[in-house]
Amino acid sequence: MSRKQLDLTLMGLAGLVSFGLPLVISSPTYLQILILLFFYAYLTTAWNLVGGFAGVLPMGHAVFVGIGAYTSTILTLQYGISPWIGMIVGGLLASGVGVLIGKPTLRMRGAYFALCTIAFAEGVRVMIENIDTLGPIKLNGPRGLLIPLKGDSFWNYQFMHKAPYYYIILVMLMLVLALTWIISKSKIGYYLAAGGDEPEAAEALGVNVAKYKLMSMALSCFLTALAGTFYAQLMLYFYPKGLLGLDLSFEIAFIALIGGRGMIAGPLVGALALRPLNEFTRIYLGDQLPGLHLVIFGLILILVMLFQPKGLTPSLARIYDRLANRITGAGKSGSGTIGSGETSFKTTSREGAK
Amino acid sequence: MTALIQAVLNGIMMGAMYGLTALGLTLIFGVMKVVNFAHGSLLMVGMFAAYWLIKLTGIHPYLALLIVPPFLFLFGYFLQDIVIKPVFKAEQQVREPLTVIIVTTGVWYVLDNLALMLFGAEYRTVHTAITGTSFSIGELIVSVPKFSGFVVSMGTAAALWLFMRKTRIGKALQATSLDREAANLMGINQYRIYNLAFGIGTAIAGVAGCVIMPFYSVYPSVGVVFDIRAFIIVVLGGLGSIQGAMLGGLVVGLIESVFPLFMTSTWTEAIIYAIFLVILFVKPSGFFGHKQDW
Amino acid sequence: MNILEVSGVTKHFGGLTAINDVDLHIAEGEILGLIGPNGAGKSTMFNCVAGVFPPSSGVIRFKGESIAGKKPWDLCRLGLARTFQIVKPFASRTVLYNVMVGAFLRTGSTRKAREKAEEVLVTLQLDHRKNQVSGNLTIADRKRLEIAKALATDPELLLLDEVMAGLRPTEVDEMIAIIKRLRDGGVTVFVIEHIMRAVMALSDRVAVIQFGQKIAEGKPEDVTRDEKVIKAYLGSDYGAA
Repeated sequence: MSRKQLDLTLMGLAGLVSFGLPLVISSPTYLQILILLFFYAYLTTAWNLVGGFAGVLPMGHAVFVGIGAYTSTILTLQYGISPWIGMIVGGLLASGVGVLIGKPTLRMRGAYFALCTIAFAEGVRVMIENIDTLGPIKLNGPRGLLIPLKGDSFWNYQFMHKAPYYYIILVMLMLVLALTWIISKSKIGYYLAAGGDEPEAAEALGVNVAKYKLMSMALSCFLTALAGTFYAQLMLYFYPKGLLGLDLSFEIAFIALIGGRGMIAGPLVGALALRPLNEFTRIYLGDQLPGLHLVIFGLILILVMLFQPKGLTPSLARIYDRLANRITGAGKSGSGTIGSGETSFKTTSREGAK
Repeated sequence: MTALIQAVLNGIMMGAMYGLTALGLTLIFGVMKVVNFAHGSLLMVGMFAAYWLIKLTGIHPYLALLIVPPFLFLFGYFLQDIVIKPVFKAEQQVREPLTVIIVTTGVWYVLDNLALMLFGAEYRTVHTAITGTSFSIGELIVSVPKFSGFVVSMGTAAALWLFMRKTRIGKALQATSLDREAANLMGINQYRIYNLAFGIGTAIAGVAGCVIMPFYSVYPSVGVVFDIRAFIIVVLGGLGSIQGAMLGGLVVGLIESVFPLFMTSTWTEAIIYAIFLVILFVKPSGFFGHKQDW
Repeated sequence: MNILEVSGVTKHFGGLTAINDVDLHIAEGEILGLIGPNGAGKSTMFNCVAGVFPPSSGVIRFKGESIAGKKPWDLCRLGLARTFQIVKPFASRTVLYNVMVGAFLRTGSTRKAREKAEEVLVTLQLDHRKNQVSGNLTIADRKRLEIAKALATDPELLLLDEVMAGLRPTEVDEMIAIIKRLRDGGVTVFVIEHIMRAVMALSDRVAVIQFGQKIAEGKPEDVTRDEKVIKAYLGSDYGAA
């Protein structure tokens, strides 16, 4: 078979396996772990639209998760609006805020952009923690918001079992990966890549770099906010420090960076590798030494940046390339989705999604 | 009225100390053109060092000033040499040295969580010889730790300024910050300069730690609060400017002290962040900074 | 109509006057060469024309309309493309990718952009390298890539900034042939060049700038015999007797 067939087959298999898992696994604990895994993979892939494609470092992206969660939850709690609708509203709001913040900051140097996103995220978090009510809106300060149980109801975006949540986030993840792939092969993707590499050259070729960066920001913030609503409906409770804090922001960024920003599957690979690691070190070491798993996480980031600044996925992709070419007997310039050389937004098979 | 003057007084004293926390950051940026995201954590390290030193030996905080900063100088020097330099070298030609930012953020993360792991999350205070003492000028009460903090801060700023202008090493630092290639060609070892700058910047954070610890609680994420303040101050004052850092610190200190007389502290926080964002948009080079190519 | 008109353009940078009251024009289908000693203000002129920064005073008209307030990407869409003296390829991408970025200006379809890019690469004799990572190219190929990127935007006026620098004599000849072919294909060319042989071979007319001022303009043979020009390049000892 050809490279392309091999790649597609593997991806199809991975897809089938992920869809079939809830039929085999019934333990809510394990399903929850998988759900959170996909949740992080989704968030990091959405982050990648800015952090990888636009070439800047948003370090406060969790603020958009929070905007999504707070928007849909307040609309549900106080106005009885379905969280699905609230989710879209939250997404649009986050998108708007992202553009507002992005407009002046995206043209700044990388460090300043990162700084602004951190300051903005912290500013919003501190404000929410200090405000109980803002006019008619109940923000509830540091205590966060609690969503009352409404039983199994699609309209209310609540389910008594884990499986529906699993499928929702899995579908969201697949959609966001597909979206990223489509963008990378389209005009927007090329323009963003060019603008990130050499803005002056890109501008001389007709690319309004600032406009395209803003577009990717708007999209990324919209998608990120959707996950905020998902989380709120999954856990039925959230509070500012947890959802808007730098811990989540950094974790998202670090996972994407370690996995490989700028590659479509980079954040996914990062999430698949690091989330289980984080969870296990937390569970097994967290009692005696709280925070150790985070120290390890940070050290991994530093080490990866020292030795593989582009992340782990490029090397993994090369290994896969060689294996796949050996299996299919293809030549060096395979016709597969990897190694075509046309773009460096490569895909890897999601064979790791177990 | 007295309340206002008292607030202004406190604001000025705290402002000087805020400026001190920003000094190290602005120095590192000025020389290396790198924003050190780990600066707050280094401050935290300084505070914890001062805390443990005083707690375990009971020495006077002023004496701690002789021990902690040199320790932090070494810490910063080797941190730069071992962790940051390799990344920096690799990115010399790159337009945007983003990996350095990522690495310093990683250092921030590791240091904060290491402290969490080793010392736990509780807020600690230690009773020093000067904690809680004060003297009065008329109706005004002046807290001794804050006052001495003020004096030390201004003194350190002045010392740094003199160091940069009058000593050979200081001039080498300035030369590198103005044009690192030219400085290189003149025989100035770029990487030694960076190590030095980082070491000095960290040492200053150590001074700040000693000075703040007597009246502020120490906990692992204390760095974050000061870090963001420090960034705001540095941007306000202009990256790389000593006067700018002190002036920016003064502004933040005064706002923090005086505004709560007229509105809740929540809004004071919000206003500081808002001013930060406004400055970034309107005049990113701050009071005294040079126009950079954004 | 003149495709480009530069009238009374002056550009200050702080206390330095880089260009002082310069007039230029290029007719459609011409090749105009701009020469002058280093630091004379040639690249500054290009940057003004390309919309990188506005002139301090004076007017620049492209296809009859003032370019004031227009950004480089606007001008590119209008048909003005440029290359950079220090080439700026998208180094981690392939040659084809680089040129496709340019091609996307006129189409939203990836397939059409790829076809256009491949055509352009054939014109510039780079198609055999289309899948190579552009950062690994030789200097001559990189210069051709620079032109290919600009050409993919379907320009009417092409600004070439010292595209011959660093090329060997045979490569210079090839480049001259390529540029002539471009003009024959309908592209007006504005060239900054140091290599006299190329200037003479290519240009219909030549303008000479020294210290920001135009000191001569006319046919290549006439300009190179102009006393002021000789003095500018070689110093006053070499003025014609």
